[in-house]
Amino acid sequence: MNDYTISLNDNKHNLKILSNNKIELNGANFDVELSQLSKSVFLLKVNNRVYQVTSNKNNSENYSFTIAGYSYNVTVRTNLEEKANDYLKNKAKESGSEIIKSPMPGLIVKILKKVGDNVQMGEPILLLEAMKMENEIRASASGIVKSISAKENSSVEKGESLLEIG
Amino acid sequence: MIKKILIANRGEIAVRIAKACTEMKITSVAVYSEADKYSLHVRVADEAYHIGNSVASDSYLNGDKIIELAKNIGADAIHPGYGFLSENANFIKKCENAGIIFIGPSSKSVEMMGDKTRARTLMKQNNVPIVPGTTEGISTYEEAKSVALEIGLPVMLKASAGGGGKGMRKIEHIDDLKQAIDSAKNEAKKAFGNDTVYIEKFIENPKHIEVQILADKHGNYLHLFERDCSIQRRHQKVVEEAPAFTLTPKLRAKVTLAAVNAAKACNYYNAGTIEFLFDQKESFYFLEMNTRLQVEHPVTELITGIDLVKEQIKIAQGDKLTIKQEDIKILGHAIECRIYAEDVDANFAPSTGKILHHRLPSGPGIRVDRGIDIHSDVSVYYDPMLSKVITFGRDRNEAIARMIRSLEEYQIVGVTTNIHAFHWILNNPLFLNGNFDINFIDNKFIKLLPGKWKTELDDKYENIAVILAALLKDKDSKTKPFKRECKPENQWGKSSYE
Repeated sequence: MNDYTISLNDNKHNLKILSNNKIELNGANFDVELSQLSKSVFLLKVNNRVYQVTSNKNNSENYSFTIAGYSYNVTVRTNLEEKANDYLKNKAKESGSEIIKSPMPGLIVKILKKVGDNVQMGEPILLLEAMKMENEIRASASGIVKSISAKENSSVEKGESLLEIG
Repeated sequence: MIKKILIANRGEIAVRIAKACTEMKITSVAVYSEADKYSLHVRVADEAYHIGNSVASDSYLNGDKIIELAKNIGADAIHPGYGFLSENANFIKKCENAGIIFIGPSSKSVEMMGDKTRARTLMKQNNVPIVPGTTEGISTYEEAKSVALEIGLPVMLKASAGGGGKGMRKIEHIDDLKQAIDSAKNEAKKAFGNDTVYIEKFIENPKHIEVQILADKHGNYLHLFERDCSIQRRHQKVVEEAPAFTLTPKLRAKVTLAAVNAAKACNYYNAGTIEFLFDQKESFYFLEMNTRLQVEHPVTELITGIDLVKEQIKIAQGDKLTIKQEDIKILGHAIECRIYAEDVDANFAPSTGKILHHRLPSGPGIRVDRGIDIHSDVSVYYDPMLSKVITFGRDRNEAIARMIRSLEEYQIVGVTTNIHAFHWILNNPLFLNGNFDINFIDNKFIKLLPGKWKTELDDKYENIAVILAALLKDKDSKTKPFKRECKPENQWGKSSYE
């Protein structure tokens, strides 16, 4: 008996695994059957329909799927993990800082904000050049720029911290 | 007769050209950079040569190296594809001097069309309508001011040597003109080494419609009807279709005639495209001429049944066009979606990685031109376009239905793609009824980022994703109880107790 909380597009779903081939999702029961075709391809039968799904495991709790051309980024946690995560999130809110990371490898062309500047969520904060194109990196939170670790004309890796908003 | 073609390009277009070579029994030669070792174009060509580092200037843009290689391996022609060296008049001259056939126009035609003010003058002289404005560079602020006021605000400043939006400014207030001219000139100087800028009237919410041309070296000119390429983001086309279904037969006749006149004006031979802007009042204006094969050429191939790459090769070796204008008919409707490695919700940020899984769509009316296959790399060095899905139907509705089906079937793992977002476009009422212009994505889609556009789609698979996530997590995280294998025949296990 395992209980999971699944987050998808700002919605949370509760799922219970009842047996090998039965689950309960948000109160309704489904017959399921899963087979793996290759490292990234699965066949999932739900009741009477079979879906061929591609999957990319991003980490132990986050998956990217595509189903019939629709893409999904899904976070799945056991109910215990979910509680621990909520607790950590609240703590982070108290200290209130958000670190902007580079979404791709590239070259920092221009930093549009200085330490101490006010930023609104969604506002461009720096320009990153990758694949011949300039990309605007936008703030994922509102607040004041606490520190900037990115440097103009230097290259960054994917996931590298660029700037902290507090 | 051309016997061996060096393809000076990469990605899907290099693959496309190699396929035409195979059909014509011509030896195809691929060139590749360090980053493209595992790319598909290297796998499909008859011969493949490594030409340098990943940076394009060391490889695909290194014209001297490419001509040298062509000479050494006995290639009699070079096909430039699109981008890279395809519209480089100097490179074409070098090919001409080295006695290698350039599969494209003469360097003279490219020069005539490459300079925007020169092209505008030429078009005006040949009865091709141009956007109202100057046909020469601006020399004084006073002159610029009087021109701007005469044609009416808003106006655009554009660089004569321009492209890619560099040196371009929109002016809404006359007081901003002086400063805009200074900064546009500065930007143009930096980008192109030429600070000539000119003024054009700003066309409000136009459609981008372009005409496909074929011309041989014997003065024969054909048009292959038009394409509507209004669905663009960041001035890059994402969906193209042929024909432009909102065009009346009368306008179609007018614009295709203008396009043929434009090609004649620069003594053009090869396949070429004349781009026009159509305003809301059914007037159209010359935008520019692309003196090469276009990314979106397959939609024209599907509606006319003519293989443009093979025609290019035949024209280059001096053959006369055998097709007659009256025999070219619109046989149906075709749509193309450009599949990019990008994260739409991260403001279209490019995505890199290795292709781990690739399942192509198939069935009636479907064509995929691709540059990727299993284990090819999508690197930071080049354009993030992975492939193009092109569908054909008896009418637009059938082409769209087939496109939606194709995008449901198409699977790519290893990079993030824009496939999902096409479902939003293809289901949008404005797209379906033709009420769109070049600002469609900017005005209607961008404001729904990140993620909100998904809520406008009927989501049929959310539950499936949720169930799969839980089952995979459950499968991976199950703590398996330790089981000691101790079968009767396991002597080692037995003896430890005996």
